[in-house]
Amino acid sequence: MITNDKKSVAFKTLGCRLNQYETDALVTDFSNAGYELVDYNASPDVVIINTCTVTNQSDTKSRSVISQTARKAKNAVVVVTGCMANNFKEKLESQENITFVVENSRKSSILSLIDAHFSGEIAHPDQLPQDVFRYEPVRKSLHTRSAVKIQDGCDNFCTFCIIPMVRGMAASRPVADVLESVRKTVENGFKELVITGVNIGRYEDGTVRFEELLAKILEVPGDFRVRISSLEPDGFGDDFVKLFDHPKLMPHLHLCLQSGSDKTLLRMRRMYDVAQFRKTVNKFRTVYPDFNFTTDIIVGFPGETDEEFQQTVDAIKEFNFSHIHTFKYSVRKGTRAERLENHLPEKVKTERSLKVRDLSVENMRRYLESFIGKTQEVLVEKIGQGTASGYGQHYIPVHFKLIGAQKNMIVKVKLTGLVGDDEDMFLSGEIVNNS
Amino acid sequence: MMSLMKPDIQMDESFYKVEEIRHLTGETFSLKLPKARFAFKAGQHISMGIVGGNQSREYSIYSGENDENLEVLIKEVENGYFTPRLRRLKVGSMVEVHGPFGKFGMEPELAAKGKFVFIASGTGIAPFRSIVHTYPEIDYRIIHGVRYSKEAYDRQEYAGDRYTLCTSRDKDGDYYGRLTGYLKTCKFAPETHFDLCGNSNMIFDALEILKEKGFDRDQIHCEVYF
Repeated sequence: MITNDKKSVAFKTLGCRLNQYETDALVTDFSNAGYELVDYNASPDVVIINTCTVTNQSDTKSRSVISQTARKAKNAVVVVTGCMANNFKEKLESQENITFVVENSRKSSILSLIDAHFSGEIAHPDQLPQDVFRYEPVRKSLHTRSAVKIQDGCDNFCTFCIIPMVRGMAASRPVADVLESVRKTVENGFKELVITGVNIGRYEDGTVRFEELLAKILEVPGDFRVRISSLEPDGFGDDFVKLFDHPKLMPHLHLCLQSGSDKTLLRMRRMYDVAQFRKTVNKFRTVYPDFNFTTDIIVGFPGETDEEFQQTVDAIKEFNFSHIHTFKYSVRKGTRAERLENHLPEKVKTERSLKVRDLSVENMRRYLESFIGKTQEVLVEKIGQGTASGYGQHYIPVHFKLIGAQKNMIVKVKLTGLVGDDEDMFLSGEIVNNS
Repeated sequence: MMSLMKPDIQMDESFYKVEEIRHLTGETFSLKLPKARFAFKAGQHISMGIVGGNQSREYSIYSGENDENLEVLIKEVENGYFTPRLRRLKVGSMVEVHGPFGKFGMEPELAAKGKFVFIASGTGIAPFRSIVHTYPEIDYRIIHGVRYSKEAYDRQEYAGDRYTLCTSRDKDGDYYGRLTGYLKTCKFAPETHFDLCGNSNMIFDALEILKEKGFDRDQIHCEVYF
């Protein structure tokens, strides 16, 4: 425990990029307010756990982190926020090792809550203002790249998904706020911004839709590059492809397929079919042959037959996703899929999951090998002993000898070889010219 | 410093009192609620729960955008959890409504000039009644698939030549058999827009038939029911 007046705070984050961004924004808030950022092992005064509830596994992880953290930081004010706080609010509120449970919509005001607590006020999170866009632009961060939140919530009601219940309905941040946040984040020194939200393709502020907003972001002056976080395949038009001509926009999309079977997609209540997905991928690859697509796949969705799973396997091979986030379907209480028939045994889900992971590794190897001999501009994110690492424009992992490179610097690296043979594989290379 | 005392409980804007229950068949009924306190697009859906309960379900809006009542169409699921509870509601019971949600809806400009075929199974007819109530001049055809002819919910509201009832368990409809069987026999103008609402199997089969007939996937819009 810090003995002087300066309080300390530690953060734990689980789940998606949006959660990571919101933690980073809270880090900035607490840092601006004079709190010292420490590890949770260092007896902090406050611990903030930003949880996830998207799968059963996320729940288990979130519960484990809460109990471990509360045990280690015994005298700390423990704040649990994030999607699990929405999904299991009453249960968490009844736990003695948690001081406050703060819903997503009030997360941006956690600093006020903690200030009130330390001032001796009787504080209750339900009195905090509800605003999902109130976050300050990230200045101090736990990451090299910063996200910019443009949207929150989703009302697609995919049958497997709990998100509409825990993140609320789709809401878009006003254009002016987004652009101001981009400007300030760039001024704060970030070289790479990740445009993020729950369902960003559904962005809509007046007449401005996602691709128009993206075009405006790309025109903000400054030396930075832009990535798009996860995107649904139904949320953009033809002009979107042209935007990737812009040198600031990186040639990678995480486009969520979920299944390669039209029947399964209908049961999931997805808004597209495989042919429409193919059309999108082909549009990009015709213009940008080495464009990187990654995706999410759910295996073992209720009623998924061997034939339907095989269609997913075929789609993975056809679309050459360089990485696949594979999820074994798990029941989320209150979703429509919970009520579907023919839930599959865990054994089948595991077998299918392993198959998809193997395909993902194969695809990744092939994709990375295609870059050997080429050059990538890499944002340096980690500095080790004599080496540095980061991601190139195509979101490919690159390691190279540390010669004058520093964190948050973009360097040109000539790629010379592939190292490793599993999901952690990366390209090795040599700096050719600092940019 | 802001005060952070827990707020008083307030009556929620999303609570609606049931004004009328219309029994359409032994299993199917509609709940008429006060006029919606939100603007919606015909075709969209809401989520509805029983006040005091802990579950909700999504229902397409059965009434038109300007109708005096917000109405939903419900079929009781045998041995289900939620619909039997809805069936026990009385006039004056309270339900909680959130929404509107969804991209399945009619754009006014398109309604004025487009040609539409609405394909529905069972209570999947709900969004199409909302559309027809909202745009009475719309150029449409409805193909409605049910088991028995008594399930032709509010059929009298549609012009006879615009509504085709396909019945799979009795011969009192316009076509005896599944709606997909009827669909195969139909001819449509190339510029037709198709809107499909119903269970996923019907939608999958209907999509295949329409694609075989040469229609582009972008002409076809789907809303899956469970």
